[in-house]
Amino acid sequence: MSLRRIATVEDLHQYLHVAMQLEHATIPPYLTALYSMHSTANQDAHRVIRVVAVEEMLHLTLAANLLNAVGGTPDLSRNDFVPVYPTRLPDGETDFEVGTRAFSPDTIKTFLKIERPAVADQGGSRFVSRDRSARTLMPTVNAHEDDLHFFSIGEFYAEIGEGLERLHHELGDDLFRGDPARQVGPAYYYSGGASVVEVTDAASAAAALRIISEQGEGLGGGIFDEEGELAHFYRFDQLLRGHYYQPGDEAGRPTGPALHVDWDAVYPLMPDSALDHYPEPGELQDAVTAFSRAYGDFLARLTEAFNGRPELLVPAVVDMFHIRDLASRIIRNPMPGRPGVNAAPVFRGLAPVGVA
Amino acid sequence: MPVPIDHATAARTEYDVLVVGSGVSGAIIARSLAERGLQVLVVEAGPGKELSVAEYDTHLTRFYGAAAKDNNSAYEVNPNAPMPRSPDVRGLAEGHPDSLSYLVQNGPYEMDSTYTRVLGGTTMHWEGKALRMLPEDFRMRTRFATGRDWPLTYDDLEPHYRQAERELGVSADVADQTFYGITFPPGYEFPMHGLPPSYLDTTLARDLDGTVVRLEATECTIQVRPTAQARNGIPNAAYDGGKGYVPVGAVSTHQIDQGERCQGNINCVPLCPVQAKYSARKTLSFGVRTGRVHILTQTVASQVHVGADGRISHVDYQAYGSTTSPEHVTGSLRATTYVLAANPVENARLLLASGLPSSSGLVGRNLMDHAYLLTWGLLPEIAGTMRGSQCTSGIEDLRSGDFRGRHAGIRVSIHNDGWSWATGAPYTDLIELVDDANAYGTALRRRVVDRISRQLMLSFMIEVPPEPSNRITVDGRYVDALGNLRPVLSYSLPDYTMDAVAASRRVSRQLFRRLGVEDRTFYDPRDPAFVSHQGEGYVLRGGNHWAGTHVMGTASHDSVVDSHQRSWDHQNLYLAGSGSMPSIGTSNTTLTLAALSFRTADHIVSELTTRPSVMLKG
Repeated sequence: MSLRRIATVEDLHQYLHVAMQLEHATIPPYLTALYSMHSTANQDAHRVIRVVAVEEMLHLTLAANLLNAVGGTPDLSRNDFVPVYPTRLPDGETDFEVGTRAFSPDTIKTFLKIERPAVADQGGSRFVSRDRSARTLMPTVNAHEDDLHFFSIGEFYAEIGEGLERLHHELGDDLFRGDPARQVGPAYYYSGGASVVEVTDAASAAAALRIISEQGEGLGGGIFDEEGELAHFYRFDQLLRGHYYQPGDEAGRPTGPALHVDWDAVYPLMPDSALDHYPEPGELQDAVTAFSRAYGDFLARLTEAFNGRPELLVPAVVDMFHIRDLASRIIRNPMPGRPGVNAAPVFRGLAPVGVA
Repeated sequence: MPVPIDHATAARTEYDVLVVGSGVSGAIIARSLAERGLQVLVVEAGPGKELSVAEYDTHLTRFYGAAAKDNNSAYEVNPNAPMPRSPDVRGLAEGHPDSLSYLVQNGPYEMDSTYTRVLGGTTMHWEGKALRMLPEDFRMRTRFATGRDWPLTYDDLEPHYRQAERELGVSADVADQTFYGITFPPGYEFPMHGLPPSYLDTTLARDLDGTVVRLEATECTIQVRPTAQARNGIPNAAYDGGKGYVPVGAVSTHQIDQGERCQGNINCVPLCPVQAKYSARKTLSFGVRTGRVHILTQTVASQVHVGADGRISHVDYQAYGSTTSPEHVTGSLRATTYVLAANPVENARLLLASGLPSSSGLVGRNLMDHAYLLTWGLLPEIAGTMRGSQCTSGIEDLRSGDFRGRHAGIRVSIHNDGWSWATGAPYTDLIELVDDANAYGTALRRRVVDRISRQLMLSFMIEVPPEPSNRITVDGRYVDALGNLRPVLSYSLPDYTMDAVAASRRVSRQLFRRLGVEDRTFYDPRDPAFVSHQGEGYVLRGGNHWAGTHVMGTASHDSVVDSHQRSWDHQNLYLAGSGSMPSIGTSNTTLTLAALSFRTADHIVSELTTRPSVMLKG
């Protein structure tokens, strides 16, 4: 199924659900690349990817704030919330798939596509028609129009921005009917790049959207955003070009200090690791299952946090350490019967096991 | 370099202020002056190429790889600007100074305190406790007929404590920190909410709160309290009259933005892996952003020169290109005003090496540090040891009272890192279980957990009063790789302190009894830090809280600096840091010396801007 132009509050909820799915969908690929690096190698590259991953978590939180602000109910524990990798991105970009892969030049090229800057003309249609794909995780709605898709994440958010404006014009401040107590504020979330915005009105909604789109793709063509922060696309670009960008640089020509990448100091992780890659009962299967289960618990905790209990983001930090530790248990193990391939975590979010 | 500046350019520039040392004092003074329009040069003897996460992480990698995790293990060995390290301490043979390592120790007590010579100074390895001193600590002579009075009161310093709490980013709740005379202005809030007490803290509070301990005639009622800490927590929206506070994250120049809050990693000392803990690099980075702070690292201030008018005329430097070679170039730096902020040992060493013992003769004397008595044992239940930052709570109730006329005040910290400081846990536990107990597999894992998560260690931080005979000197026989005179330490612990050590051991036994703790404390007579007192032996550790070597006072004949930390002898020289403190009470010195730095910056600005020749550029 697909998305149509935002005409109703329900459409907006739909888009914001997809936004949360979209922001989350990038996190397992980024984390897999991070986990795959040998622990003492590639510190420059590790920091670059980590910053982006942390900011995607900020974007996820901002999308949840937006959804809560307009009366929606975030749910990260739905069965279809986590895509099956490889996947197309939920906003409907059709020309590439995203997987959970080890750190490599190809992986970074995919990351560049995820974060690529918008190219559609302002005012022109940002919708692209295409055939449905079985591999795209799209939410179920009644499509009023033909399938519409976006060339980039930035354009997807531009549509949300315009939809918000249209609905605000139509409904006035009644659009922001959500309970402000459901907002995640700076008390429970901060990262260095930008701070979380509590969304309670049109201005704060616009501010939240601006962070999401500019931090990612540098919408408007600049490599740095208004706060002087380097857009994600160019952060990844640095890894392939071997130099840091610095203020004044043009796209594609970073002139900052050298950035050293050792493409070989990486565990050869099973691409797009899935639970059925581990059919044999034993310690490896247990470890992979434990990871999936912990990831499911984590998403359930986030769902609760985004539904009026933002203080749960404090223990969620502990969950994230736990998830990392479980991943590091997996990645050093060769796959049985697959020489040269190591096991990798599966971000499936298995339901928690009930305790008798 | 944080700001591209070379020695030749710096030597040609007439700065408003030259600051020697990039630790917390120097950083605060530099930032504060630059924000008010003055041009500042900071010279740092130790290495540091840039204020970046990448550089910070090189320290972290070195620490992870180090076999001995002492508090300078994160920093490279650098003969050109050496620093004391606790494993250097060897045990003195009577009458023979220990001169093998940088700090020459004359004894009789051999100290294992350290400091860090690297960009950011000792805040790179400090633990982050941000304690105000008690009002009575400022009046030791008047109140307890011991030690020295400050030329300042708590109330004089209180506004600067608030500035320091903002700069360092202190997490605490006012209700928890209001005790024994400490007051805050009405409505005051700390920048961030107090960090949560550890499970270990709550376990101890459950059993200890309300216990009465007697020190001389003073009855002290124990209450386990959360500790004010300079590490990022949840920002307090009510801070600064409702303006809130934005925590300062990792310092970075390459768009590597990390705004971390404390995650409960247990290695605050020597280095917080996520920069949740304050370091002076944060302050320096704000200073650099003004465009008016230049920093030269690997630049050792070697000689302070005084002109015919009694004012400082210039400072000689030695700049070395590599920590592995003594090759260096020399030159001179000039400024209107000079600030020595190189820590109490290095400030005294540089002045004495420059032939400037001050007219009072007190430079290097009155050296203080806290003496630490560690006691440890096993709790009867699993208490989650090794979780949380190193210390999240303590006992403040032995710090204040009339007993201080007889013996020193005491502050107790509860250590979430178990026996780490005393025995090297958890590494030593693991080695013992594997090598001696032949444990492996599941049994090993279970025994590690059982043993480590029941560990309890208390540290008793004991005041040392100023004694002129405790001192830093220099001696032409002892020089470092660049030919600079090394510090020579003569130090003993007075009865005023040792009586409190004995009382601490007694209190520890009482608390352990209440807790049902199996006491495992053992003081090895072969330990270089073993001390006997009235028939009992103790091992006393240093606190790295050096102080007193350029003591502050009301007159030039019995003090080195005035209440603004300005030298009595040289009107354009300030000696900044805990070296100015006439007493250290039972507070870790950083917050107080940070407060003093703000006061000093104010004074420098008022002195310089009242001179018509200086134009403010702000």
